[in-house]
Amino acid sequence: MTTVTNTDVLSRVGNTSLVKLDSLSHNNTEYFAKLEGNNPFGSVKDRAAYWMIKDGEERGILKKGKSIIIEPTSGNTGIALTGIANVLGYKVEIVIPEKVSNETKEIIRNLGAKVFETSDDLCPKVGAGTDQSIALATSIASSRPDTYYSPNQYANEANFRGHYEGTGPEIWKQTEGKVTHFFTGVGTGGTITGIGTFLKEKNPNVKIIGCQPQQNHLIQGWRNFEESAKPDLFLKRENVVDDWVSVDNNEAFSVVKEVFEKEKLLISPSSAAVYACMKKYPIEGDACVVGIFADDGRKFKSVYATQNVMTEEEFDNILKEAKHMSELAY
Amino acid sequence: MSESTEKKLDATGLFCPEPVFRTKIEIERMQVGETLIVSADDPAAEDDISRWVTRTGHELVNMSKDGNVITFQIKKVK
Repeated sequence: MTTVTNTDVLSRVGNTSLVKLDSLSHNNTEYFAKLEGNNPFGSVKDRAAYWMIKDGEERGILKKGKSIIIEPTSGNTGIALTGIANVLGYKVEIVIPEKVSNETKEIIRNLGAKVFETSDDLCPKVGAGTDQSIALATSIASSRPDTYYSPNQYANEANFRGHYEGTGPEIWKQTEGKVTHFFTGVGTGGTITGIGTFLKEKNPNVKIIGCQPQQNHLIQGWRNFEESAKPDLFLKRENVVDDWVSVDNNEAFSVVKEVFEKEKLLISPSSAAVYACMKKYPIEGDACVVGIFADDGRKFKSVYATQNVMTEEEFDNILKEAKHMSELAY
Repeated sequence: MSESTEKKLDATGLFCPEPVFRTKIEIERMQVGETLIVSADDPAAEDDISRWVTRTGHELVNMSKDGNVITFQIKKVK
């Protein structure tokens, strides 16, 4: 029987590249990007999906030929879960806010998932965006517990463990224990708490810095905590975060072309937001700074055209020239 | 025999916001002028469905309760 630990594609989850950002590095302060777009289904969420499915199988609550995986997601988890579930032969249903990019929804549909789109007017008391999707996925799963397995990345410890046992140790090893500052955005909180907890166990002086988008932001996968609730997974270990830095849509989108010109990287809006935060956050003296680039920019052609970041023609040219664009499994 | 333009949706046993979500999907599939009968037993459905119908400009023709079950008669207006 095929399970999550013994397939070729899935052996490629994790161990992503750490590349130096020459455009930010100076003197003895070195900046690095952890390129999570190198995962087989193209984002950091391959880790959460892999660990949550593995956990469901090991605990016997995810059963081949019987269970349907249902998950609320703003995009990348949907791609990762559907991709991995496809390899393993599970059916998947994805609940997603309608404002997520069409490219993302199309990828999820093409990978074989049934997609439910939620709008903010559905049930106003539960909140906006992914809060609607979470409520709907929860209601579908809870009324049919024998059929549905909802990994629920917003509360699942396996999401935390994927980073605590995977990404954190990778960063420690790749920087030879020199990392002093770590930057990432917060969606479920799995990345920041998993990596942050591991790094602080290795060196309590490592600064963990969370990036906060503006309200009504366009940074797919992130949450602004004034308009959206803090997820349970984040709340459990939120004290691991030493500091926060805010970033608005304009700051994020304005560095997308800059990063391509200086680094030859085509980056996603959330990676751009992390880059903008690292760029403006004051760091003095010897430092080794690592930021999570959760995915690359290939899914954001329409977003970048709509936001006047670049034309579709410019995007196509940049896509051809960009470095570190790994081959995806779809 | 007259042509039936009334569709039915049984949302009993489902929790908020699934009843309103299923209602939305059914309404989107229907033609203007058709009527949907929705039955639900989640108490939150009373507010959710009636507010959604008003917000989206359709017509709540009737709402009745029989024990725990709430029945909505909704006409697609646009």
